[in-house]
Amino acid sequence: MERTDWTQDTQALAEKFESLTYILDEELATILFLMMKLQKPLLLEGYPGVGKTEVANVLAEALGTELIRLQCYEGLDVHSAVYEWNYQKQLLSIKIQEKGDRTEAEKEAHIFGEDFLLSRPLLKAITSSKSPVLLIDEIDRADEEFEAFLLELLSAFQISIPEMGTVKAQNKPWVILTSNRTRELGDALKRRCLYHWVEFPDFEKEVKIVQKHMPEVGYSLVEQLVQTVHAFRKEKLEKAPGIAETLDWTRAVTTLGYEKLSEEAIRQSLGCVLKSAQDIDKIRHDLKSIVHSM
Amino acid sequence: MVEQLPHASYYADLEEALLGFARYARLQGIKVGIQEVQESLQSVEWELHQHPIIFRYALRSIFCSDKEQLALFDQIFEIFWGVEKGKFKAKEEEEQNKNRTQKISASRVWMGKNEAREDQERDDSENVSGANTVERLRQTDFGSISGIEAEMLEELAMKLWQQMSKRIKKRFKQAENKGRVDIRSTIRHSLPTGGEPINLYRKKVVPRKQKLVILLDVSGSMDTYSFFLLRFIWALKSHFSKVDAYIFSTNLVRITDILETKHLDHALEILAQYAEEWSSGTKIGECLKAFNHRFAREALSGRSTVIVLSDGLDTGESGLLASELSKIRLRTRKLIWLNPLKGATVYQPIQQGIVTALPFLDTFQSGHSLNSLLELENYLLEV
Repeated sequence: MERTDWTQDTQALAEKFESLTYILDEELATILFLMMKLQKPLLLEGYPGVGKTEVANVLAEALGTELIRLQCYEGLDVHSAVYEWNYQKQLLSIKIQEKGDRTEAEKEAHIFGEDFLLSRPLLKAITSSKSPVLLIDEIDRADEEFEAFLLELLSAFQISIPEMGTVKAQNKPWVILTSNRTRELGDALKRRCLYHWVEFPDFEKEVKIVQKHMPEVGYSLVEQLVQTVHAFRKEKLEKAPGIAETLDWTRAVTTLGYEKLSEEAIRQSLGCVLKSAQDIDKIRHDLKSIVHSM
Repeated sequence: MVEQLPHASYYADLEEALLGFARYARLQGIKVGIQEVQESLQSVEWELHQHPIIFRYALRSIFCSDKEQLALFDQIFEIFWGVEKGKFKAKEEEEQNKNRTQKISASRVWMGKNEAREDQERDDSENVSGANTVERLRQTDFGSISGIEAEMLEELAMKLWQQMSKRIKKRFKQAENKGRVDIRSTIRHSLPTGGEPINLYRKKVVPRKQKLVILLDVSGSMDTYSFFLLRFIWALKSHFSKVDAYIFSTNLVRITDILETKHLDHALEILAQYAEEWSSGTKIGECLKAFNHRFAREALSGRSTVIVLSDGLDTGESGLLASELSKIRLRTRKLIWLNPLKGATVYQPIQQGIVTALPFLDTFQSGHSLNSLLELENYLLEV
């Protein structure tokens, strides 16, 4: 099996991820290693745009398995996260069986059978035939009630459906939760997870990331771009640019045909890296000093 | 310190040292349970301890559950395992410690004032009572309160605030509206009628919890009020599940965690240690800026109500206050400003600070006496 090769030590794990264009630092590699060994969910916290979600994507790719993604939002409930009954089908079935000689109990058992169950991401994740990667994205956006519901899933890898009983996972999914920290998560949930705070990458790492994604772009341009992005992050902005923004920006600047990052190039493409009118105003205003300080 | 710090080398083997480390971490306030210890023992099995840095990463992800714990963990890891001494010590942590030890004195002044008089006041207050007193106290401006009345007022205030919190909670429950049709139970109940849904069953509407964010001005001009207002916040805090509180004068301090304690006196004691430059000038704009920058993302949402308790006597630049307030307004459901000065009949909102703030406020109220604070109930109710 290929899988056994790269999960045996942290070094191999990092290399495997790098081959899939994700640069892992030693710490995250260690934690992912632990996660696979302990079969524990991993909670990734950090500012938007530091590549939290991407970890799950790449992990799924590395394992050669399906990625099941649950995007959380305020008001997310069990019916859109776990399962829902197919009401139309149930109604039709009741009609069809009207003249049949089944007893009421039998009818009920029938319409609450698996045929009438619609799997939503979480149920899908624990009934898959091969361990999938389950990404529970932006868990901080979901309500606390939902967070409490997740506890059963994350510790016992099972889900209770009142009409059917408990469904236990045949193959434990690899669970990655991400949070932007817009609210504090409950202790109970955190205790069930390994924890990692994802920082913005340092200069060398980010240059490496951009080169990995766009090997055709010249080194000096990448260096300049990353340096500028780092300077932006030091400014007090509403929304600091993430790695995705760096990549977008690199793409934009090269598409515009620049080979060197000039003041004009920045001015033209600022919208790719800064996403708020106030930030853009602010940077436009201080552009000269930022460019000169580099 | 006379006490000797624990170190891995005092233990017989690695397993024991790990147990010792877990115990040490627990003492330092990191919640480490049996499961965590087991997992860390397992990580030794997988030879993660061979490389000190990897070992630290592994234990850190197992032991910590919060960004704030990371720096503390690094410190105790360094002490206990003695790897590359001094290298990992987080700068942030150092700075925090520095801030904490600075300037305790000023806050002691106003808190001390109350402590010293306590005994004498108690004797006096027993002789004064009756409905009239209560009624009068409810309307008294906190600023003009005498020493004797202070304690009575405090007691009364706590009682009334607690009642208020209870009332608000109750009304939340009563205000349940009819929700959407619950298809699941409607179908279930339609079985006896052959699938014909005769009665519609509805989902219960869960009332959304409101989040309160309170910013209290503790500068010199607010001196006489801030003591009561702090108690008011504490009363709210102990009865609402989500209250996020901050104090500010020339800088901003988050006090939510401190108010978590059951005993107010204890909380005040800790606050005294945190506060810097209490009872000095006010830079509202700058403090709100700090709030927006450091806490707003986490604290504010479409559901939160922000209450600013301040007299609006700003010594900073005025344009800043307006722009920061507008930012807060954008991210919240409601922005309320309680100004003790407004209680005075002659008061006109003409100070620079207040004038620039007015356009962004949903409510501008007095908050100088018990009654005026109790009026807040109405605003808190409108969900």
